[in-house]
Amino acid sequence: MEPVLELQDVSMSFGGLKAVDSLSFAVRENEIVSIIGPNGSGKTTTFNLISGLYEPHSGDILLKGESVAGLRPDLVHDKGISRTFQSLRLFSNMNVLENVLVGMHSVTKAGPFASMLRLPSVRREEKAMYDKAQEILGMFPGRFSGPRQLQPAYSLSYANRRRLEIARALASDPVLLLLDEPVAGMNPAESHEVMEQIKMLREKGYTILMIEHDMHVVEGVSDRVIAMDHGVKIAEGTYDEVANDPQVVEAYLGKRAADATA
Amino acid sequence: MAIRMKTSSGQDTAPTHGDTVVQRIASAVPGWVWWLAGIVIAAGFPLLNVIGVVETAWLRVGVVSLIFVLLSLGLNIVMGETGLLNLGYIAFFAFGAYTTALLSSPKFEIRWPFLAVIVVSTLVAMVAGFLISLPTLRLRGDYLAIVTLAFGEIVRLTIINLVPLTNGPNGITGIYSPRLFAGAKPALEGIEAWFIIDKPLEYYYLVLVCVVVLAVLLTNLKNSRIGRAWNALREDELAAISSGITAVRAKMLSVVLSAGIAGFAGSLFAYYSNVISPESFLFMQSVIVVCMVVLGGMGSIPGVMLGAVVLQALPQLIREAAGAARSDFEVYRMLIYGILIVVMVIFRPEGLLPDKIFKREAHEVDPRELEMTRQSLFDLEEGEKDLGV
Repeated sequence: MEPVLELQDVSMSFGGLKAVDSLSFAVRENEIVSIIGPNGSGKTTTFNLISGLYEPHSGDILLKGESVAGLRPDLVHDKGISRTFQSLRLFSNMNVLENVLVGMHSVTKAGPFASMLRLPSVRREEKAMYDKAQEILGMFPGRFSGPRQLQPAYSLSYANRRRLEIARALASDPVLLLLDEPVAGMNPAESHEVMEQIKMLREKGYTILMIEHDMHVVEGVSDRVIAMDHGVKIAEGTYDEVANDPQVVEAYLGKRAADATA
Repeated sequence: MAIRMKTSSGQDTAPTHGDTVVQRIASAVPGWVWWLAGIVIAAGFPLLNVIGVVETAWLRVGVVSLIFVLLSLGLNIVMGETGLLNLGYIAFFAFGAYTTALLSSPKFEIRWPFLAVIVVSTLVAMVAGFLISLPTLRLRGDYLAIVTLAFGEIVRLTIINLVPLTNGPNGITGIYSPRLFAGAKPALEGIEAWFIIDKPLEYYYLVLVCVVVLAVLLTNLKNSRIGRAWNALREDELAAISSGITAVRAKMLSVVLSAGIAGFAGSLFAYYSNVISPESFLFMQSVIVVCMVVLGGMGSIPGVMLGAVVLQALPQLIREAAGAARSDFEVYRMLIYGILIVVMVIFRPEGLLPDKIFKREAHEVDPRELEMTRQSLFDLEEGEKDLGV
């Protein structure tokens, strides 16, 4: 079966530094793939390449067989890739509901004149958006219920802001969801909860590519794991295969540690 | 609007800054009551003139105020909603005014019907807005302000020097009064007179109707996906484009729309004042419209309307108070505006009637302090979990 996302020999460098070096991998439908690697190994650059913030210098990125490499971020989003950010990027002064509604921008179509006149079609669309937002926010039970939806995003707790970013990314029914460190900065109980929610997203049929440092979460949700170091993919496979790969151990702990485990 | 309404009727549980008893009572009154009160006051004001309580001079101030209300509503779209600083906004006003002057004056002996003139004036300003947005929208912040400032000056200097078309510094005189139904048969001339607008009172109501209609349209737009897209771009452009908003298109729409509103206002202004000259389109006028938006509350539709009325009525108030010294007043006008803006920015940066999103932005807290608050919220959340919330 055709993979949802396929990277073919993608390279990107900043000046002389090869941030991503001939990276190839694929994500299949309804699969959760995690990218791990030490800081500066090119994980977030990979995400920025996929989501259109950077243009690859060589290679191609295919979404369901169609190239999205070098497209503008908004067009990549239109094709069905939505993402979250490592450093939270919510619309802090807008409320929870509005943040989710903005996420639906590309899948709604009311024009300026229809919106000004608030035609029946616009009302219907707004109602549908509102219902959809309730459905998405409902995936995080107890977190965004009732009056909380009218709170500005900045007033939320850190964990809830991360959840809200996921909710905003889900608003457009993406073909592929990119999660950049979804549990960063969370305590064990919270990261466990998010882990369960990510599993639930798979049950709902979403395809997820995620960057994560929390090995507990990586182990808990990933179908496959890709390890990167210095822009190169050094290992790929199930969690156990990757975690025991000498190159991966070396990347994280250094050469002597790798020798010791071997 | 349905979604937003809930928040405006005081259910917003967000921590607000400096909640006083007055504010709490004020927020308990539903939004539509304020709107109704505003309309009643605005519509009732000329009656004071009719019964002889206020002078006609005040009615004239009223008409100009309302024209500036249109302008500040227009500028609010780019400045308040989308967060683009435009310092040459008056240029679009000039486009509308000169288009009207050319299409309805003895200059070329053309007298197009009122509705056609006002539509064409709006469109001309929109085209100007589109053209200026092509090169400028890729610029950010300060650069955009400088380019629009230069644009405003270029337009003004062009008007001064394009004598064959604009009569240069002398301006265009004798602009015909609007006829709501043009080209009626001679037999109907008696009736037609009813539809000619040439008294301040008539202009007042004409512009007031335009203001009310525009305010409703813009409120709808603000609460639509387009308004939210503008706000999102202002808040975090990178996140907005990654959420599927085409930044250039959304910004262009905001610039073109605001230019169109300025053109529309310019057309009404040209009709009302009969004479237009480059003096009406100085850089200072752009600054004054910016002041109106800042004073009233960026992003807030009722706010910018109030801001425009206050800044237009203030000079007249002071002029009357100053009495005999009125000739000196002009010297101090800008000083007073300046002090007013400085005071506002220090004590109430969100404006007189703030928009709720912008209010938060204006009071943005120190990030470290916020992080500490969040840490304590963490603990709260753990507690919540135990309660099974």
